[in-house]
Amino acid sequence: MRAYRRTSLTDALGIGAILAVAIFSLLLLVAPSIIVVIISFDTRAFVSFPPEGFTLRWYAEVFKQGELVEAMINSLQVGVTVTVLCIILGVPTALACVRGRFRGTTALSVFVLVPHMVPGIVLGVAVLFAGALVGVSPSIWLQSISITVFILAVMVRTVQSRLMRLDSALEEAAANLRATPFQGLRTVTFPLLMPAILAGAVFTFVEGFDNLSVAIFTHGFRDRPLPVELLSLVQFTSSPLVAAVSGVQIVLAIVALVLVAMSIGLDNVNE
Amino acid sequence: MTDAAVSPPIAAPRIGERLADALLSGRGIWPAVPAIIVLMIVAVIPFVILLSLGFSDIEISRGDIVSQTFSLTHLTNALGDPLYWITFQRSLSLALTTTALCILFGYPVAYLFLTGGKWTKRLILVLTIAPLLTSGIVRTYAWLVILGGRGVVNQTLMGIGLIDQPLRIMNTHWAVLIGMVQIHLPVMILPLIAVMSRHDGQIVEAAENLGASRLGTLRTVILPLSVPGIGTGAALVFTLSYTTFVVPQLLGGGNYLNAATMIYEQVVFSLEWSKGSVSSLLLMVTCLIVLVTIALVTNHFTRWAKGRDA
Amino acid sequence: MMQGPTGPTRNVATTAPVLSIGAVSKRFGATKVLEDCSLDIAQGEIVTLLGPSGCGKTTLLRCVAGFWDADGGTIDIDGQDMAPVPVNRRPVGVVFQSYALFPHMTVAQNVGYALRMSSVPKAEADEKVTDALATVSLTGFEGRYPAQLSGGQQQRVAIARVLVMEPRVLLLDEPFNALDAKLRGAMQVELRQLIKTLGLTSIFVTHDQEEALTMSDRIAVMRAGRIEQVASPDEIFDRPATAYVADFIGTSNFWDGEANSGGVTLPDGQSTKTNLSGRVRVMARPHNLRLAPPEDGPWTGTVIFHRNVGPLIEYHVETPGGETIRVANMRQERARRIADRAEVSIAVIDPANCAVYPG
Repeated sequence: MRAYRRTSLTDALGIGAILAVAIFSLLLLVAPSIIVVIISFDTRAFVSFPPEGFTLRWYAEVFKQGELVEAMINSLQVGVTVTVLCIILGVPTALACVRGRFRGTTALSVFVLVPHMVPGIVLGVAVLFAGALVGVSPSIWLQSISITVFILAVMVRTVQSRLMRLDSALEEAAANLRATPFQGLRTVTFPLLMPAILAGAVFTFVEGFDNLSVAIFTHGFRDRPLPVELLSLVQFTSSPLVAAVSGVQIVLAIVALVLVAMSIGLDNVNE
Repeated sequence: MTDAAVSPPIAAPRIGERLADALLSGRGIWPAVPAIIVLMIVAVIPFVILLSLGFSDIEISRGDIVSQTFSLTHLTNALGDPLYWITFQRSLSLALTTTALCILFGYPVAYLFLTGGKWTKRLILVLTIAPLLTSGIVRTYAWLVILGGRGVVNQTLMGIGLIDQPLRIMNTHWAVLIGMVQIHLPVMILPLIAVMSRHDGQIVEAAENLGASRLGTLRTVILPLSVPGIGTGAALVFTLSYTTFVVPQLLGGGNYLNAATMIYEQVVFSLEWSKGSVSSLLLMVTCLIVLVTIALVTNHFTRWAKGRDA
Repeated sequence: MMQGPTGPTRNVATTAPVLSIGAVSKRFGATKVLEDCSLDIAQGEIVTLLGPSGCGKTTLLRCVAGFWDADGGTIDIDGQDMAPVPVNRRPVGVVFQSYALFPHMTVAQNVGYALRMSSVPKAEADEKVTDALATVSLTGFEGRYPAQLSGGQQQRVAIARVLVMEPRVLLLDEPFNALDAKLRGAMQVELRQLIKTLGLTSIFVTHDQEEALTMSDRIAVMRAGRIEQVASPDEIFDRPATAYVADFIGTSNFWDGEANSGGVTLPDGQSTKTNLSGRVRVMARPHNLRLAPPEDGPWTGTVIFHRNVGPLIEYHVETPGGETIRVANMRQERARRIADRAEVSIAVIDPANCAVYPG
């Protein structure tokens, strides 16, 4: 009879090393953000670690800076516009991709994906040039529509994957129970798609709010969005002001995370 | 009720109603038409224009193109320009190194996800998804704080007496690389986790039950099965890090030129449209070549893994 | 064997059929899934479409419901052609295999759905919902969500949900599949009684022959997109029209024979009548055979296995030719039971009950 092998030393060491790297990586993911938040409460006017004292001065400062507040408002506007556009354009597209009975449903899904696969700066440059040729200059609207095109795929795919897992008998049941296609959509399909639409909305809003690669070429000269404003602020400011702005953004990210967790659950983000 | 109750005659739906339903029912392509139109106008046509600009001589006066003639000058100029070669080489090696390091640091996290309990899994998901919802600039800024002259690293090293003078880490290749890896790590981990959670935990138990050590199970069972995840993650990390603008700009100190920052300067500062177009196209084409290579390698290893199983 | 495309109704009441399916065919790409299917169903009748998966029974049901359009043939309800009538206007109610209850609606909202969609005044709708829930004994469950109900309760909600529409035809797509085996039997009887009380004309789809035998007034056995036989459960069981039906329903023994001058000789020496001649296949049910000591007859074999099937014992007897013949005898006293490996002879009890099919 074979002797039962205890875990060997090499095995334990190897697995130990792997787990150590895993823990290091997880710390690496979260530590920088924590450090930024800590810094944002520092009383000194320059960035240093560890901080001395505690103040909310920098947070107050953020909302006193006219340019920053304006940039935040601009980015909020872009975020909302992108989200609304993505819902209006993306949800029906997802429906057509999944429930469509025409040739080329696959081609359609791929077509929607393409702008998302192209590097953001290439899309930004292309839109900037094309706009210039037809006399559309960069603006908050050009920025919004460009980011919409860039991120539409995320909304379509989130809704698509939910739609594919939805029992198609539910829609048939609605039709059998006297609902017209539109009524069926309104009373059965849409309510059941809501979690996916909400999750998609979170992702598209975050992209609209935070996107730099497309925005940097397409934003309006006077309507600078937050990422563009932040980029110069980071380069030319040494006070914890930027840390405070980051703190605000991290809070927003946590809100977004909670929304995603509550809508579709974190396990389903991958799809 | 057995006696035949005759059902009321069935009214035919009105034309308007039928039209609305045909448009909205999702059976036809109609619901997707608005999106298709927007994508055509804001993505496809601009790309065609970008292409045409890269292959033509243009004359601009007061912001308008006055003449445009076909020419390969810009392309040949770019290919003959050592600056292009250096910049693209740097971008490429930076992105490839980033990708490799992301696999190295990301894979153990995915392994922990596979073998960990419910709460470990949840923690990993939170820590991986949260950064994706945080602005790239904020995350890059954190490294300014950590790696700067009075940052965490220098303060710690000086505190324990290892160095007297702050090390110059910021504005170096290393700072850029560290930032790149950390910022793109979640993008690597997520697809890995997706592949891992697709496979039953029982497959690991089966291997261990058959007498494989844990390392052996990792090498012979988990690794081959997760090849597609590595491929997807690598493709995403490469695309993002190859075309990123933020990290080199902030951590490289403004004079660290990669392809993305070069395009930005050509387009925004020096207004060289044709140059910018050519650079953008080169960026896209080289990116595509690497992506295809990654896909081919992944396919090769997936087939190898399957073939070996059989 | 088949009813003609416009053939007259068979074995049905004299009144006009409620549902008339005439020569319906349907193909997906190059695959024919339905071919020339005809079936008339009278008021209050429960007809089962029975067949293995992929035989087209669900397709036929979906064509009647209007989820799919038939490529050819006609579907009439009360004499009215259904082809131009969209799904939501057909007077049919469908109970889905998964029940397809709307998870975001309460039981009352689910049941009242059809009434809301056809703008029935609220007071009237509420009354109908209450009645329907009372009919399926779910009074008091109005506020629950489907996820809070057991499988059997969900099925009753699905039935109540279509009952409020007062459909002319009820379509049930394998409604017992989602239930566990024990509950199934009880629900079958209960559902049949409910449908009979309400006098609903119904089509019931299943692949389970016992379900079909329990539920139906008539059974339509389907094979590869065609209806092989339509008849009462008794007739299907006792006089299967084709070898396929005989094989699909119940247990059967087949062997080859040679028919001449209006008869075919059975292996035990007896003979049975047939109109066929030449090579034929003969079928006998296990309970139409009995075992005897080996010296009693020419059809001998060895018992290789036996098992208890309710009050019967089923013996598997291997003949020298290598065939396995199944014989079912009433359970006997221990002393007289035939042991495995025993040499026996087989005899047909009633040759007239053997069926003869073309070889």
